[in-house]
Amino acid sequence: MKASRDLVMGPPPYVFSRQSTGTWIWGMVMALVPVFAWGLFCFGPGAALPVASALFAALAGEAAGGLFLGKFTLWDGSAFLTGFLIGLSMPPAVPFYIPAVSALFAVVIIKGIFGGIGSNWMNPALGGVAFALLNWPRQMGEWVVPRHLAGVTGVSGATPLAFVRDRIAAAPAGSDPLGLLAAAGMKFSDLDRLIREFLNNALFSRIGSDLPSGYIDLLLGNRSGSLGEISGILILAASIFLLSRRIVRWEIPASIMLSNALIVFAFGGLPYGNGFFTGDVLFAILNGSFLLVTFFMAPDPVTSPSTRTGMLIYGTGIGSLTFLIRTFGSMSEGTAFAVLLTNCIVPLLAASPGRSAQGLERK
Amino acid sequence: MKSIRTFRRGGIAVAFGTTWHDLGPVPNAFLPTEATVLLRQHQGQAARCVVHKGEFVREGAIIGRARGPSSSNVHAPIPGIVKDIRVMAMSEGGESEAVVIALEGSFDRLGRRPERYLWKTMSRHDIMHSLDERGVVETEAPGKPINTIISEPRRIDLLILNAVESEPYLYAESSLLRDKWAELLDGLAILRKVVAPERTLIAVETGKAPLLKASPAADEPQIEVMEFRRRYPQDLRNQLLEAIVGHRPKTDLEVLIVRPSTAFAVFEAIVHVKPMLERYITVAGAAVKRPSVLKARIGTSIGDLIEECGGFLGRPSRLIIGGPFRGHAVHDLDVPVTKTTAAILALTDSEIRQQARCSCIRCGRCSVSCPEHLDPDLLFRLLTHGREAEALQNRLESCTLCSICGHLCPSRVPLVAAFSSRLGAMERKPIGARG
Repeated sequence: MKASRDLVMGPPPYVFSRQSTGTWIWGMVMALVPVFAWGLFCFGPGAALPVASALFAALAGEAAGGLFLGKFTLWDGSAFLTGFLIGLSMPPAVPFYIPAVSALFAVVIIKGIFGGIGSNWMNPALGGVAFALLNWPRQMGEWVVPRHLAGVTGVSGATPLAFVRDRIAAAPAGSDPLGLLAAAGMKFSDLDRLIREFLNNALFSRIGSDLPSGYIDLLLGNRSGSLGEISGILILAASIFLLSRRIVRWEIPASIMLSNALIVFAFGGLPYGNGFFTGDVLFAILNGSFLLVTFFMAPDPVTSPSTRTGMLIYGTGIGSLTFLIRTFGSMSEGTAFAVLLTNCIVPLLAASPGRSAQGLERK
Repeated sequence: MKSIRTFRRGGIAVAFGTTWHDLGPVPNAFLPTEATVLLRQHQGQAARCVVHKGEFVREGAIIGRARGPSSSNVHAPIPGIVKDIRVMAMSEGGESEAVVIALEGSFDRLGRRPERYLWKTMSRHDIMHSLDERGVVETEAPGKPINTIISEPRRIDLLILNAVESEPYLYAESSLLRDKWAELLDGLAILRKVVAPERTLIAVETGKAPLLKASPAADEPQIEVMEFRRRYPQDLRNQLLEAIVGHRPKTDLEVLIVRPSTAFAVFEAIVHVKPMLERYITVAGAAVKRPSVLKARIGTSIGDLIEECGGFLGRPSRLIIGGPFRGHAVHDLDVPVTKTTAAILALTDSEIRQQARCSCIRCGRCSVSCPEHLDPDLLFRLLTHGREAEALQNRLESCTLCSICGHLCPSRVPLVAAFSSRLGAMERKPIGARG
């Protein structure tokens, strides 16, 4: 009795884990689709342009690099994810060449030159975003209000972080970020009012507190910002998928959020002239690209540590640096730079320290 | 309250493979009409053939005599005519002479009441001689003759009956534990008479069917039973000792570890005065219609056993002798069962989950999960760059080939292939570098 000829031979193991690089990357891409859809809903179909141009440039860059090096790596999806993330981190009305050049920079310079996927030390997507922020600060700072808030498409309006930052110097003592927004006449949606009133009547009034306007809008994504970062609730929903499928290990997001929350709570009130332990944690976490970076970029296995202790240190570094850059830096948003800075210490956190990115020292 | 033990570092939870329900007593497989008996089913040199073509052999007659150290006698599993003596490829690599016996004549043992030899009067030397004569070897690769293990004049601190079957799919040892409790205790008692250990314990895994119907305390007060968490590779020597002692064992701890199937073979050889003619085999995998445990004669072809389990269900992509982590692939259903065939697995693509190899993304799962504290990624890179000396400095030789790193690698880097070919090359050297 002979078995069929297609029996596979070779050494063990003969069964493999459910997770593979492909399922990780495409799982992330799938988790980003609802987030992207919300962005399109808020900013209109024209907002697909930065995403499309970033994707096109990333894939073209990967294909060209593949031709040059003689290895075809388009199907591993890593270029697609990088391009997608860069597109989602752009202001909706950004000129199309900015995401394209950034994605090309990310795929070719940050990743390709170091040897392709697995050999880069810096997170490609965040490197691309940082490249755009440093090269085109003006275009990267032009934000648009969601069309269902403004009534028409294309009304420009600063992100809440930038808005608060411009007014913080003149803020009266005892104020808080949401108060500043409300005082400056920032519009909140009807949905925010409805949910806030319901929660206040049903819950918060009974414990003697009051939910101010704005948090619900921040959570739902009714604010200015990049396509992918605005909807906190969709990113959190995606995080359930990512964590339960072990695409993202819990240690990194948890330590980023916890460290940032603690520091913001302890020191976040100081710039407003309030005392210690008065910072607005929810405002810090729901704003900027914090959640997007926490769940989709910081846990990138290539540029993050692999041991549990390493992950916790790495996450804590990102959470704390984010606060420092947001408070003292020249830009209102600093999560991307916090990750890139923390990427530099990852080799020290490796299981066997002293190895270069390639794993071997050159002789 | 019993505590459940486990090893400290690395490893994986085994949450796949065949789910076994209470199977009932293990059935005998059909007798093969033709048995192909390899003369090398043990660690050492192939046995010397002592029969010739056309000769009639009785059930249990010796057909191969041990030749050199770690070699062992081989017996005829069925009565019949020696149809052919030929050299054939062994499934694990290499070649061996094989005796093909066509079933004929009557059985001397099958269907008769087994002998009950009163072994307690036997001397240590007599027991060892009988085990040698009846070709008892360890039931796992490489198949060390049991004598070479127990005859060394050394003090044994700990004798462990290792019923932990932490590789997925496997169930033969557990079945033995359930069906042959009294026999296993006797087998253990025989071994204890030979090696006189300070302490004896039975290692079982929790989470499998309630196997231990009898309590050992009633039968043998000196024997402890320890429960271990179901986690791979709990059954390996280092992990077992780590779980028992609580830390990495000291080098001066002398331990003897035997599988239930080995202990059962010892029992049969001494009490039933029977050579090693058959063994318990797990037949499983999603491509097998009715996964079962069978008691099969040595020399039966694995195709026959799969047939007996209902044949194939769907198309198998891999045929494996042994477990999915430490077994080896075969491509032929004519491969005969040997003394070290613990399992036959027919796996489908959906349970194998092989993918195209891709670049290492440095997720670090290999080094985090290595039970031996190695950095498989680093070792692999060193070996592919031809820097073997450095790989050895990084303790390549303590790799047990448990295959966890390869199993977990999301990029499917052939880590284990690199380690096994290198370690295999070291093992083949006459004076090996392995300590």
